[in-house]
Amino acid sequence: MLQMNNVSKVYQTEMVQTHALRDFNLQVNEGEFIAVTGPSGSGKTTFLNIAGMLEPFNEGEYLLDGVNVGSLNDNQRADLRNQKIGFIFQGFNLIPDLNLYENIEVPLRYRGIKANERKRRIEQCLEQVGLASRAKHLPQQLSGGQQQRVAIARALAGKPRFLLADEPTGNLDSLMARQVMELLEQINRDGATIVMVTHDSELARRAPRNIQVVDGQLADFTLYQGAQTIKTASGV
Amino acid sequence: MFIHYLDLSWRSFKRTPLVSFLMVLAIAIGIGITMTSLSVYHMMSADPIPEKSSQLYSVQLQTMDDGSTWWTEDNMPLQLTYQDAENLLNAPTSEKKVAMMRTGFSVYLDSDKIKPFIGNARMTTPDFFSMFNLSFLYGGAWSKEQEDSAAPVVVITQEINDKLFAGKNSVGELIYLDDTSYQVVGVINHWPLNIKYYDLNNGAFNQVEELFMPFSLIKAKELVSWGNSNGWKHENTPTFADKLQSEQVWIQFWAELNTLEQKQAYQNYLLAYMQEQQKRGRFNRKELEYKLRDVNQWMQYNNVVTEDNKILVGLSFMFLGVCLANILGLLLAKFLRRAPEVGVRRALGASKRQIFLQHLVEVAMLGFIGGMLGIVLAQLGLMGVGQSYDYYENLATMDLTMLLSAPLIAITTCILAGLYPAWLVCKTNPAIYLKSQ
Amino acid sequence: MLEIKPIFNALCRSKVGAVLLLIQIAITTAIVSNAAFIIQDRISYLNQETGYPEQDIFKFNVMTFGTDINLSQQFELDESMLRKMPGVVDAALSSSIPLSGGGSASSFNLKPAPQEGLSVRTAYFFIDDHAINTYGVNLIAGRNFTEDEVLVTNEITQKRTNVTIVTKALLDELYPDGDGLGKIVYFGDLPLKIIGVIGKMKGPWLKDSKPDNLAFIPYIKAASYAQVAVRTKPGQRAAVMKEIENAMLENYSKRVINNIKGLDELKNEYTAQDRLMMRMLIVLITILVLITALGIFGLTLFNISKRTKQIGTRRALGARKSAIVSYFLVENALICSLGLALGVVTAILLGKMLMQYFSVAALPPSYIAVTAIAVFLMSLLAVLAPAKRAANISPSIATRTI
Repeated sequence: MLQMNNVSKVYQTEMVQTHALRDFNLQVNEGEFIAVTGPSGSGKTTFLNIAGMLEPFNEGEYLLDGVNVGSLNDNQRADLRNQKIGFIFQGFNLIPDLNLYENIEVPLRYRGIKANERKRRIEQCLEQVGLASRAKHLPQQLSGGQQQRVAIARALAGKPRFLLADEPTGNLDSLMARQVMELLEQINRDGATIVMVTHDSELARRAPRNIQVVDGQLADFTLYQGAQTIKTASGV
Repeated sequence: MFIHYLDLSWRSFKRTPLVSFLMVLAIAIGIGITMTSLSVYHMMSADPIPEKSSQLYSVQLQTMDDGSTWWTEDNMPLQLTYQDAENLLNAPTSEKKVAMMRTGFSVYLDSDKIKPFIGNARMTTPDFFSMFNLSFLYGGAWSKEQEDSAAPVVVITQEINDKLFAGKNSVGELIYLDDTSYQVVGVINHWPLNIKYYDLNNGAFNQVEELFMPFSLIKAKELVSWGNSNGWKHENTPTFADKLQSEQVWIQFWAELNTLEQKQAYQNYLLAYMQEQQKRGRFNRKELEYKLRDVNQWMQYNNVVTEDNKILVGLSFMFLGVCLANILGLLLAKFLRRAPEVGVRRALGASKRQIFLQHLVEVAMLGFIGGMLGIVLAQLGLMGVGQSYDYYENLATMDLTMLLSAPLIAITTCILAGLYPAWLVCKTNPAIYLKSQ
Repeated sequence: MLEIKPIFNALCRSKVGAVLLLIQIAITTAIVSNAAFIIQDRISYLNQETGYPEQDIFKFNVMTFGTDINLSQQFELDESMLRKMPGVVDAALSSSIPLSGGGSASSFNLKPAPQEGLSVRTAYFFIDDHAINTYGVNLIAGRNFTEDEVLVTNEITQKRTNVTIVTKALLDELYPDGDGLGKIVYFGDLPLKIIGVIGKMKGPWLKDSKPDNLAFIPYIKAASYAQVAVRTKPGQRAAVMKEIENAMLENYSKRVINNIKGLDELKNEYTAQDRLMMRMLIVLITILVLITALGIFGLTLFNISKRTKQIGTRRALGARKSAIVSYFLVENALICSLGLALGVVTAILLGKMLMQYFSVAALPPSYIAVTAIAVFLMSLLAVLAPAKRAANISPSIATRTI
């Protein structure tokens, strides 16, 4: 599904070079649910942005569904993103002027889907996240949890096979966070591959596979194994 | 997608109404000012007879001795002497030609119903009507015989016909001009003319005359010109006959030359004429000179578009430039504020091109609204112009070209202003706006 | 105190906005200084002294079609009737009317034609001994025409006029040494003795190359088309103008009286284009300055909203309100100064262009200087309100996340 080989990303400012990712290698298989953790500034978000083709990378190779992303131009990347990838953000990033219906419509429009098909899908997605009755509301009229559910509905509307979530519960209280997590798990069971960045270990533990990014590099292990390693380390 | 972009633009307009309104106002004022001066300029410089403006030539002859000067750019007198006009008129050449002069009469009928009034008259030859594309409501031009015999005949305008004869067919009726009665032979249709291009002597925006009469009457009735008469050397002209034989210039002359060959032939004829006149001691110059200018060249040569107007048009476009910079600044601020939203759209699969187009549609919409408002402002401006200057009343209007070009200029200006901000907003890295809001 | 360096650095980072403002200020300065100069030029042209009591003088045309009278006699009858009308000071047939844009001009020479000598362009009126009184002008030297010197004719005779009264401007041009009174000038080959000098009166064309040169020649040629000038007592002109057509037609009816117009009205018609240009330029620069001010205002507002948090943080760190205000004022002053520097250059270039392609005089530097100062003050004013608003941003904003 997703394969990164020796991907590097360097941010260049006037003074310093910052290596956000360094020889990053990762293989994600169809249907996986992966939680990405790591300390602040370790490169989690950079990884997610590159995975979502929002940012270019400097070196290495990134294959999405067998397509070499590095060789695509902007329009092709936009199309690929539009068709295969759904995004969920910590800040929900709903467009404030658009009501729920219209927010969900945005990716469908970019895909060029016809109006009646759009309507069907949007209603279906809103149903799925339990907000069908609120279609005409504006984002600021909803609670944070509801907003995030709309954002998830928007991500789902295009029927992406690959969902990228950046701290999806970061702005939510624990009850709402749990609801959102359950929704994501449901989506995963329905067949979508999910990569979720989080710093909440509770949440991360619910994901079948955990990876950790430290200093722009990958440490891949289950939490259980990780706990053992730490134990061992401290035991020495 | 275009409709959708329009919808988005309108929402964006409503979201920041003050800034949007300022932008629309800036473009509207810029367009209003530019269109006001451009409209007057356009009406002044518009071709008054596009279907044959390049076939009608004003004739100028260099009658002055070497060393004498005129105020024109090429040192040529603007009009002809009576004797030259008469000679050119009688030339055995086949083209249509017209000699003419403006004068005036007291106009009255043989009854007390109409109070005598002053009528402006054009003393001209019968070709005048077909050369300048006038059409007749009743009757027609006078005949060659009537012209040659200085017959007391007159062609009147529809307006005068309405006034004197209540709009009835007046052909055959008599009207009195000064002390003589004249027979009406024709009534011309209303002839709206913004620029009196055929005689720029008394101001380019003067009214068309009400009476048209045989040129030969000048000599018969000793009519004086109500236009400029200019001399370049001292001559004693105590009698009218002296004046007719003098070197004073006061007659306008036009020739219709339809082909290059015809024009060439006419040029040859003019040269030959001057050479022949040299034998009589006239055209006493080293180099013989004549000028044939077509209608548009003639208007340009006579500076129909005033210098003031050109300056105003120039300054107005600079003004539009300021408005453009102004809008650019506001757009930049407005669009960059929206970068987070653009980031979301990019993440949801919008291509740079789509983002760019969305923003261009938005500025084009601003341009369109501004352009429309600008037309309203320009109308107000033109009303002011028309009121402050009688002659401008006909000129201070927007014709279709101007009405269409107003929104076009507005939209072009806005798109020009919007290109950079739109490009900036579509090329910014979406990722940085997604993390935290 | 004033932290120019950091402000300058911040400006360099947001180049485009600053450059735009700079361009606006530059073009505004260029347009306003040049337009102001043209406006001033037109105002002084429109308000120039003509030498006439314009409010009290009017003219009308007489177009006679009757042939059963002697025109010369009729005009004499008309004149004496007019002069007796209540409210009328004096009246005279005048071959042309001052300030009207229509008239005759020729040259006065020191030698008779065709001999060559000093030749001066002048407008001339054929008029009688009532001219000075009718036009209300000042005879500053010499004397008026006598009745005998006025040649009245509609016949060709051998008798010729031999005197003239000229304006001081014309006299000084003919005789720069100031000894012209009593000398002879030639109108073609006709010798005329200068018997009187009028201090100031304008000819028919204010735009003439010699608008102040005018000569009265005592000659009345009766013709079917004539113009009459009338001066009334102050305040009575409108009443007399209303009466005039009937009075003239009562005297003799086979004629048309038209074009009854005040001298001020004639002048207004003649100068209509100039007034129009002046008005349009005034509208243009007023709106231009407003637009530029709005631009500065809008951009400052945006800058402030962009930096709300930064300003809050500064306030939290102890910046006074005055420091915030002065930050924006200094920022604006920096842009404005650069814009003005560019504007001065643009103004000079524009002025040069106008001078090269049009008949506009050289732009005096004082106009640029005054404009620059005005634009600078205007820009400070435009910044002041938003800057004060910025200063009122609560320091607590810094501690909020959004």
